[in-house]
Amino acid sequence: MQARLEARQLTKYYAAIPAIRDVSFTLEPGSILGLLGPNGSGKSTTVSLLTGLREPSAGQILFDGRNITDRLVEYKARVGYVPEEAHLYTFLSGREHLEMIGRLRRLPAHLLTHKISTLFDLFGLTGAADQPISGYSKGMKQKVLLIAALLHDPDLLILDEPESGLDLTAGLVLRHLIPILAARGKTILYSSHVLDHVERLCADVVVLHHGRIVAEGPVSQLRAMTRQNASLEDVIAQLVTTVDPARTAGDIADVCGLSA
Amino acid sequence: MTAFRDADAAPVGRLVLGLFLRRLIDNDVISPHADRHESLAVLGALVVTLAVFVTFFISSEYLAAFIQLPGPTALSALSDRFLFIAASIAVSALATLMVWDALALEARDAAILGPLPIPAPTITRAKLAAALLFGTVFAIALNAVPSVLYPVFLTMNLRGMDGRGILQLMVGHATSVVMAGLFGFFGILATRGVCRLITGERGFRRISSTVQSALVVFAVTALLLAPTVRKTVVHDWVAGTTPVRWPVRPALWYLGANETIAGHIVAETAVVLPPRFSFVGFPKRQDESSKAAYRALGPAFAALARRAWVSVPVVACLGIITFLWTNRRVPDQAAGGRGRSRLRERLRGIGQRLTESNPETQAGFFFTWQTLTRSAPHRTIVAIAVAAAFTHLLIVLAASGGHAPDLPSTPLGLLAINTLSLTSLIAGLRYAVTVPPEVASNWKIRMAWLGDERDYLAGVKRAAIVALVIVPLLALLPLDVGLFGLRISVAHSIFGFLFAMATLDGLFLGYRQLPFACSYVPIENPKLLWPAGLSTVVLVAYEFANVERWAMQTTARTAWLFIGLAALVVLIKIIDRAQRRERPPMNFDARPAWATQRLGLFERVVNHD
Repeated sequence: MQARLEARQLTKYYAAIPAIRDVSFTLEPGSILGLLGPNGSGKSTTVSLLTGLREPSAGQILFDGRNITDRLVEYKARVGYVPEEAHLYTFLSGREHLEMIGRLRRLPAHLLTHKISTLFDLFGLTGAADQPISGYSKGMKQKVLLIAALLHDPDLLILDEPESGLDLTAGLVLRHLIPILAARGKTILYSSHVLDHVERLCADVVVLHHGRIVAEGPVSQLRAMTRQNASLEDVIAQLVTTVDPARTAGDIADVCGLSA
Repeated sequence: MTAFRDADAAPVGRLVLGLFLRRLIDNDVISPHADRHESLAVLGALVVTLAVFVTFFISSEYLAAFIQLPGPTALSALSDRFLFIAASIAVSALATLMVWDALALEARDAAILGPLPIPAPTITRAKLAAALLFGTVFAIALNAVPSVLYPVFLTMNLRGMDGRGILQLMVGHATSVVMAGLFGFFGILATRGVCRLITGERGFRRISSTVQSALVVFAVTALLLAPTVRKTVVHDWVAGTTPVRWPVRPALWYLGANETIAGHIVAETAVVLPPRFSFVGFPKRQDESSKAAYRALGPAFAALARRAWVSVPVVACLGIITFLWTNRRVPDQAAGGRGRSRLRERLRGIGQRLTESNPETQAGFFFTWQTLTRSAPHRTIVAIAVAAAFTHLLIVLAASGGHAPDLPSTPLGLLAINTLSLTSLIAGLRYAVTVPPEVASNWKIRMAWLGDERDYLAGVKRAAIVALVIVPLLALLPLDVGLFGLRISVAHSIFGFLFAMATLDGLFLGYRQLPFACSYVPIENPKLLWPAGLSTVVLVAYEFANVERWAMQTTARTAWLFIGLAALVVLIKIIDRAQRRERPPMNFDARPAWATQRLGLFERVVNHD
């Protein structure tokens, strides 16, 4: 089967400092890939390259076998993206924001109105739909971002910390939604720090550290690399953790307890 | 947990004050994405350059004088000082309006400081101190250069003036203009506080942006009108021979303060002439009569000065008390604001009907409307454009006495009101589309945009036609009917509409960005382009008024002008369509050249990003 999305030796420099180097992986249609790594490992850079918002310094991104830079606009039309930070036009209401996005994506008016109303209702945002986003909580903004990413029924969903700020119910809904979308043929890249969620949702993971892939493959395979019955958290900790967490935690508590 | 002690209040207050000042400069005065040092340097250079230029321009008659007499100088300096004072009030008020939302505790303050163990009064006092510091420093910085230069230029050829006199003039000038600046600052603070007090928190949230925009229009109009005041008018105002309208009075108070501190120094300067010149005949009579006229104004100056000395403390007290009362608690972070109003729904319905053919056109239409009415920088740009149009209208009406004789002898200014107003608004829009409302949020449009700006741009233009062409023309129609009668007014409005259509399409010819969605890149040569653009607007508007006056005298000429304008609109649209057949890639992230590059200090900068 042809890969839906393929990253080939992606490299990105920011003012001569490498953020990621030679990152390669593939995603099949209907698959969910977990992108893991500590802070500063290059996850968000990788995600921004995959969305087409930034250009790689080297390497290629292929979507259905074609380089995305050749037909960037067509590619973006098939991508839904939830970024790590919820930057939205704060002077618009949630409904106005989604209407603008839907219109730019050329969704028919009746379909757009129906989708927005229904999705607002399903995400429990109906009461705030006409309030300015400046008054939204982080979770409410996150829900607007999720609706905006799903509005045009994209083939590829790129989710960067999608559960950030979501309440328990919305988080659970999202965790049920992702496998359903994958079962309907959508390709999903799921970048998160919450390893428990990644372990439950993703069959395959890519682990980044210092801008390079340090491990990739099915979760079960990664577990096999370490001791028996190890959780994904243990595996990641072994791969990317350079400090003793227990000792560091103790040191932090000691520093906090210092007094004049 | 460490308890918060009263002894800690002072250092904590200073820290919070520092935070508020930093936020004021970083996020409100300067774009959050700009380099603070560069922006402050540019702002400082702009203030100094403008101050030097304006002072030199105003003082040119004194600098060029071979023989300068104290009497006429003392009288003519009245209008100069009035201009400096009026400008100080208006510019300080404008600067305060630019940081309108930061003049009170905001939800973001609650988000940052709410969880910390800092008493609410400490936060409130720090916010007030930051605002006061901003207002005071701005008033001083704005007036520092003219306060030094103007007295020097004024007395450059007044040979009897000594150093002590010049110093006294500087003190008088600085005191009056800084007081005027503080009056402008406290006036806005007090207006905000009183409005907030009357309407309550929810009510104020609804009207805040409208009040801010109205005040911007008022301040800019005042600033633009100030130079048109003639010397005799200021003299007559002070003497009480001409009735003084209320908006002018505060400037006269501070003029009175200036004259009571140091104004008499010029009038009483001894006449010292160059060798071989004698002080007899007409110059002597002129000097004596001017001195007498100036001295006669003394009691009026004293009365005005008394009001000046009282006005600043009164307005300051009002501003501070309303601030402390309305900000006694850190605000809630809870969502609030508008809901779905019937009027908004009706406008929305009209907008949808105007653009129902295409979703991208709808996106452009509604986003333009929402941005121009709700985004603070865009509201300010529109308000400045409205103020420019309003200023021209007031000047022309005042000059013509609000009366138009028969069409062939109608003053061009009256006929240029429509075109100049529409051109000013459209030029404001053309500038506004280059400014993104929130840079960090542009990613969403970049992701959703499908690669063709034509339909979106059509929506932007349609919103402009409704908001900036049709609405103003309807608002001006009663005035036109009063001036020219119904038949000519209708033809005049139609010509105005076609002229605006041509101007709108013309200004967007060759514009290959996505309005409101690309990063802001300042124009390359503002010193040349802004004055050239302004002159062109005035020249074109008046020339068009001339053509209109000629055309509307007969039906046949009217028809020909209509056909000609319609053809021009169609022609520009055809050229635009032809140009847009090519689809070059959109650059959403165009960046201005680094300051070092602009100054030629860098041959090459390698950007790896």
